[in-house]
Formats: sequence, structure tokens, C-alpha cells
Amino acid sequence: MRQTVLKLLAPTTGTASLVAHLAAALLVCALLLFALHRLLGPRGRRWLIAAVTFAGGLFYGLEYFLPAHGKPEKNFLTPWIEPVSVALTVVFAFTVGLGIYSLCQVHGRNVGRRRPGWHNSLAFFAAMVAMFVSGLWEHHLRLPEPLPAVVPWPKGVYEVLFNGLYGPLQAATFSLLAFYIASAAYRAFRIRSAEAGLMMAAAFIVMLGQVPFGRWLTSWLPAAGPLGSLRLEVLGDYVLTWLNTPAQRAIAFGVAVGALAMSLRLWLSLERGTFFSEQS
Amino acid sequence: MAQAPATGSWDYLQRMPRYVIYLLLAGVVLWQLLAPIRFPIVPSSTTRDVYKAIRAAPENKLIIISVDWDASTQAETGPQTAAVIRACFESGKRFALMNWTAPMGAKLANDIARPIAEQYHAEYGRDWCNWGFKSGGANVLMAMVKNIPETMGNDVRGKRVTSLPMMKGVRDIKDIGLVVEVTGLAGVTETWIGLVQGPYQTPLTAAYTAVMAPGYYAYTDSGQLKGMLVGVKGAAEMEVLERKPGLGSAIMSAQSWGHILILALIILGNTGYLLARGRARRERA
Repeated sequence: MRQTVLKLLAPTTGTASLVAHLAAALLVCALLLFALHRLLGPRGRRWLIAAVTFAGGLFYGLEYFLPAHGKPEKNFLTPWIEPVSVALTVVFAFTVGLGIYSLCQVHGRNVGRRRPGWHNSLAFFAAMVAMFVSGLWEHHLRLPEPLPAVVPWPKGVYEVLFNGLYGPLQAATFSLLAFYIASAAYRAFRIRSAEAGLMMAAAFIVMLGQVPFGRWLTSWLPAAGPLGSLRLEVLGDYVLTWLNTPAQRAIAFGVAVGALAMSLRLWLSLERGTFFSEQS
Repeated sequence: MAQAPATGSWDYLQRMPRYVIYLLLAGVVLWQLLAPIRFPIVPSSTTRDVYKAIRAAPENKLIIISVDWDASTQAETGPQTAAVIRACFESGKRFALMNWTAPMGAKLANDIARPIAEQYHAEYGRDWCNWGFKSGGANVLMAMVKNIPETMGNDVRGKRVTSLPMMKGVRDIKDIGLVVEVTGLAGVTETWIGLVQGPYQTPLTAAYTAVMAPGYYAYTDSGQLKGMLVGVKGAAEMEVLERKPGLGSAIMSAQSWGHILILALIILGNTGYLLARGRARRERA
């Protein structure tokens, strides 16, 4: 059975086979969704989602906790890890499709009704179509690496859009943070209280300890001995490892306990969220 | 939001317009990129540990470099990735690039790895490979620890990973000697620790953006992480250990002077604040 499932989920090669697989998958999914939609009421859907969620969590939990034997070590659930992961990847792909559909719906409405800022929505469609077409085309070309001296124009278009536009835009957006942080640090760091003074002292030590300039500032102090512990890089290291680490660990413990509780609630479908609250 | 106009010189010190700060920072960074004033870079203990972990990885096992970053953090994670790749080639360790969170990382890291491989006369498929981006989040790691070839399927060049000579004998996580996680995303390391390092004792080391690194000292302290590279500083320190100054070292002087400028601005702001407060007190008296 596992082999049949794996065969069904295995990547296919060849255009005709791919198209046939896609059409068949779409048809089966559409029929399945239609049938579920018609046959199950809100209560039934809720139970179905809860059952699938519980089974999924139980599968991974049991596979992880049940004793494993042999070489490579495995229990009776281990061989199913791979097909289940592939199936999950397919579900993830559906969520991407759902996201795209939702975006198109929102931006399509903006353009159709000429809402304020509709031209931004139009830019979204232009960017999405351009990246989608050039990305698929480039992938279809299957160019060898290293690339030939002269590349086909679809590859050129893709490189301009991805490396020349998308990458730099993303980098530029993130780079702006440096300016905001500089401005925010200048405005927010005021010694209004003893605590603020303490925080500033720690910030100064860590900032200077992290750059070669700070190290150079106190390089005249001997590296060993009591005076050596006053060197900025040593003080910075002290703040990060002795003061920061216990605090971070405490936060991590808190987050982990919270995550465990939340995971349990999700697994047992106690966390209803928007979908179920709308249903009821 | 409009800023209140500065009424006196003390007020100006604490209410300097934003554009002045932006221009000063841009000027300092540009100046240092064009005519750097360099200070000696001394590798920290966390960087030394990363370098040691790469060199200590068993010859007969693969190193995984998980490049979970994209263009937004490339200024830091790019030089870090280059430094880690160089350390692998230098010590003759075979490595595979992979990516399971930010899809762009597989391509950007590939662009970094290719020219470095040429410098070391390393061959794709024999000395290094790129498994590419694998969708599925943590499921990728869960499946990978049990069966690497089936989970990875094809590499970025569309070849089955099993067809690559370096993948001969690589079956599961036991055939991995070290995982190097290069990321600008929070939560990625925790997944590696929970699913790989903890249950299978696979050595794990990491490279983070400077802003997220303080959250991970707890893991180096516990020994779950064999060292870490902190921001571009970590990359520069690796370059010092490799005796090959590169992009990390070049960026370091700009970062150093950027820090100095920010500290100077904070001091100026506080000087203005304290003097203005003193004057207000005197006027009240």
C-alpha cells in the first residue's frame, strides 16, 4: 500500500504525463470537495477537520515516541513519514493557491471599482503575471550550469526581474531599517531614570564590544589578568553571555510552555479560531 | 508626524531633524565603503567554535549548509554563507546547500557558491551540491532525518540527488557530520534542535543576523550549538581565520563607524537633554 501511495505521489516527468496527472488531480479534488460540501453540514465539516487534525498529530507523535529498532532505526510508522510529508507538501501548495486566489480577489475588486490606490493593485497583477510567466518559462528552458555566454531572452527577463528588481527591492526595504534604528536610538535613549541609564550603559558596552573599533579602544589594557576583564569585548561578551542568556532562557521556557499548551489545543481542536466562530 | 521645531542650541541637540541623521549615516557608510579606516579584527570564541566544528566534521560524512535567508538579510547572511563555504572547501569537506524556509536562499547561495567552487577547483556533484528549496516546513526535516535521497528528490539542476557521486552512501541523518544553519529568521534553529540535533545528536552550528543573535547565546552555552557567527562581524572573523579577507571585512569598517555615529548621536541627544533640563530647573528656581 505504501508503495502505491508513493507511486501516486512521485514526481512525474514529461509534459503529457504532467498534464494528465494535473487534470486528474484537479478533477478528483474538485469532485471530492464538491461531495464534501454537499454531504456535510457545518457540524460534519467541523468534525472532519477535527478528526484529520487529530490523526495528523497522533501520527507524528506516535512515530516520534514509539521505540525504534533495527538499522536504520524505525518503528511501524517510520516508512509512512515520507509519503505523509509529500502529502503535506501538496496541502501546503494548496494554501499557496488559496493565498493567490485571495489576493486576486481583493486586488481585482480594487481595480474593478476604481478604489483609491487601484493603480497599486494593477501593479500587483502586472508583477505577479510577469514573475509567474518568466519563472515558469525559465524553469522550462532547463539551462545548464554554468550558464552559456549568450542566454535565451526569457532567462534574461527572469534574471532582470528576480536578481535585478526583486532582490534589490527586498534588500533596500530592509536596509531602510538601519536609518530608522539610528533615528530611533537617538530619540529614545534618554537618561530619564536609573534604569534607562543602566540600559544605555549595557547598549554602549555591547555595541562597542561588537565592532573592531571597540576592541581597539581598550586594546591597551592587558589581555590577561584583572585589568583584561575591563576590555570592551570582554565586557560585551559578559553582558551577552552572563546577563542576556539567563533572561533569554527564561523567555524561551515561557514560550515553550505556551507553545505546548497551544499545540495541544490545536491538536484537540479546542482552538476554534475564525472559521469555527463564523460557523457558529 | 511633524517634529516640534528646535528653539535653542540645547534643544537642537536633542531634536535634530531626521533627515540630518539619515544623511550623516548614509555619508559615514559611503565614506567607509569607499575609503575604509580599518581596525584589526580578532575572532571571537563563538566564531572560532564554528570554524573548529567545520574542520572537525568527519571526512566521510556530508555537511549540510541550510541557507534559510533571502535578499532582505543578504548583507549579513551572504558574507556568512561565503565564509562557511570557503571553510568547507579549505578543509576538504563535502557539503550540500539546502533551504526549507525562504525559497530565495537556494538561488542566492548557489550564486555565492559557484565562483568560490571555481577558486578551489571544486566540482559540482563531487565536492558540493545544492538540494534547492524544499516546501513543507518542519516536515522536510522530519522526513529528511529518515531518508535524505527520497526527501530531497531532485537538486537545483533537476538531477536526482542519488545520481550525484557525493551522495553515494548518504541515506539518513546519521550520514551527516554537521549542520550549519545560516538564517535571518527566528524559530529555524529551534526546529533543527528539536527535530535533528536533540534526537540524533547531529552537531549543529549557526550564523545569524546581529539583531537576532542575542537570543541564541543560551544554545551555545548549553552546547546545543557548536558556536555561531554573529552578523557580518562573524563573517569577517571567519575571513580572518581563513586568511582570506572578503566582503565581510570590507563591510565591517562601515558597520564600525556606523556604530560610532549612533553612539555619538545618543551622547549628543543626552547632552542636549541634560543641559536643557538644568536650564529649566534654574529658570524655575
